[in-house]
Amino acid sequence: MPWRRLTITLAIIGPILALLAFGFTRDAKYIKSPLLAKPATPFTVTLYDGKKLSLEDLRGRAVFLNFWASWCLPCREEARDLEAAWQKVKDRNMVFLGVALQDTDKNSIAFLKEFNITYPNGRDETGKIGVDYGTWGIPESFFIDPQGRITYKHVGGIRAALVISKLEDAAKGIVSAQEGRGDYQGVK
Amino acid sequence: MLFLRTLLVVYALLVLPGNALLAATAANVEDRTREIATELRCVVCQNLSIADSPSEMAQQMRAIVREQVEAGKSAEQIKAFFVSKYGEWVLLKPKTTGFAALLWILPYVFLVLGVLAALWFLRRWSLAQKTKLSAAASAPVSDTMRRELLTEEFTLPDLEDSSVRASLLRERDRLKNELAELEFDFQTGKHSESDCAALKREIETKAADVMQQLHALPAQKLATPMPKRPTAKKTDPKSEGSRTRFRHWQLITGGVFLLLFGLALGVMLTQSIRPRQGSNDSMTGDFMTGTTPANSDARAALADGKQAFSRQEFPKAIDAFKKVLASDPDNSEAHAYMGFILMQAGHGDGAMLAFEKALSRAPNFPMALWGKGMVLYQDKKDFGAARGIFEKLLHLVPPGEERDEITKVLAEIPATGSAPKPTPPTAAAVAGQTISGKITIDAKLKDKIDPQAALFIIARSAAGAGGPPLAVKKIDKPTFPLNYSLSQENVMMQGLPFSGKISITARLDKDGNPTTRGAGDLTGEYKNNPAQAGAKNVDIAIDKVM
Repeated sequence: MPWRRLTITLAIIGPILALLAFGFTRDAKYIKSPLLAKPATPFTVTLYDGKKLSLEDLRGRAVFLNFWASWCLPCREEARDLEAAWQKVKDRNMVFLGVALQDTDKNSIAFLKEFNITYPNGRDETGKIGVDYGTWGIPESFFIDPQGRITYKHVGGIRAALVISKLEDAAKGIVSAQEGRGDYQGVK
Repeated sequence: MLFLRTLLVVYALLVLPGNALLAATAANVEDRTREIATELRCVVCQNLSIADSPSEMAQQMRAIVREQVEAGKSAEQIKAFFVSKYGEWVLLKPKTTGFAALLWILPYVFLVLGVLAALWFLRRWSLAQKTKLSAAASAPVSDTMRRELLTEEFTLPDLEDSSVRASLLRERDRLKNELAELEFDFQTGKHSESDCAALKREIETKAADVMQQLHALPAQKLATPMPKRPTAKKTDPKSEGSRTRFRHWQLITGGVFLLLFGLALGVMLTQSIRPRQGSNDSMTGDFMTGTTPANSDARAALADGKQAFSRQEFPKAIDAFKKVLASDPDNSEAHAYMGFILMQAGHGDGAMLAFEKALSRAPNFPMALWGKGMVLYQDKKDFGAARGIFEKLLHLVPPGEERDEITKVLAEIPATGSAPKPTPPTAAAVAGQTISGKITIDAKLKDKIDPQAALFIIARSAAGAGGPPLAVKKIDKPTFPLNYSLSQENVMMQGLPFSGKISITARLDKDGNPTTRGAGDLTGEYKNNPAQAGAKNVDIAIDKVM
């Protein structure tokens, strides 16, 4: 029957078109991270002042974890905002931790001095911390609740107001449904 | 000596196999690392595995794979580790379970369906061809035979009769019944019109052959006509008409569907996938994801403009950037490049306007900040404002040559104050300024005038020698002497004032292309160049051959 043929044709071509359209809407850079609402991978980092800091040491406090590099333009753009946000929350039960990726100590320290960054910062020497947090571009920021669970991820530059708002969410254990976006620079 | 030999033997037996074993293990680790790495996507590349990518990120990921291989983890465990961090997207080969299994199965399903469909069409095609050929070959006899077959009723021979005639008669009867059944099937819609026609031709051809053989046998009455049996259902003209209408509708639907399919595919492919503009860019386009606002034409024009700019082909670059801004008026990069062109042409105000536009969209766009700083420093002599811009830029640009250059410029800028600013001409004053005069041809060049040539009257700001023209007027097939005037309306870029000292030249161009200067073109200039905007009697004598 002609109707049957038409229906079969549509039944074959329709799903193919739908699949194709679905594929076109996917930007690989923004596929949802599997890390949201999952426990943050523990790590220990050597800070630029020589001390060691472990993520486990920060348990019980809301943590803002920021991956950056001195050669990354969006990192430079957000640097002042991050320090401003830190100044506002440092007396609360919140902590900032910066981790430099693919950078030299000399340039990283110069960056920290240039922007008067006062919160703890260290370097991911092997890139393992970056991989543990699924980073593909910088800056990338993670918000971790006092129980050590990732509540929000932001790819690209972030503003002070959003940092504070998401940290407050993290402190309450509120997990965001989606990642945030801003200007970013691919890691090397 | 014996002792030494024994030692050598012991060394060979103990140490060498150990080294070989270690080497073999190391090779094994490398092989396994590579094998797993080829299945993991380099997250900063485009469809490259971490085994193939030279990026630092891929190297770090490979090191983690190697570390886990050495720790005795299986390939599945290692891949699961990366999936837990990046999602399944990190796998170059999707999983064979769950929804992703469709990616593995569907291609084979489509392949089989495609082959079956191709076979079906081939069979139909060959059948139609065969029937057509055989029908054509037996056409002269088949018409008579066909009539005989369709109109007459026959008696069948005894079943025991095994003669050639009897078997041919049986075959003829069978084919006749087959024809009747076919007609019935067609009426009930089991066969399409084309299928029915093809099958009918085939049966009729066979029947014609049978009847031809019967006729060729020694004369004998073929059959006795019998009383007519009721034949298959008659064709209802109404149902025939509705079927034809349905088929037309079917064809139209099919055509519209194919058109939509083609359009959808065309739009999605051209709008949703685009060449990557840089290492941070994605190939996924703006059509559905909204990741970038500019369309592909604007991107291509921007690339053309940049190339033209780097070759110092300013008119071409201006055209390209204008095209970009026509489709994406907020494109910061195009505004910034326009600013640099204007700056080079000595139009500080226009350049400043362009840089401001670029910065209104992207306040931290380093290129526009640099341009604005340079205009403030070199053109406006507003050293304080320039210093502020360069200091801001210094914080945005990472250490390197560019930053050193900014530091150098900052050191050159006087510490405080600013040079006295000239009062800019008002818009009304600018709008009213016109340069006019007469263009003549030197008597000795009159025979060299190409009747098809175009005359270009070109105005350049005296402050921007070497840059793009401020204004251009084209006159096709001019006659000399020719009175001309240039004013604000001939300015090449909107917003530029037609003011100040302006050099005026004229070129009689054979090919009519303002960007090329060919041998044989005639040129001339105002002898007192530059002229002041608003001047009259700016006469030009064309007196040179290029």
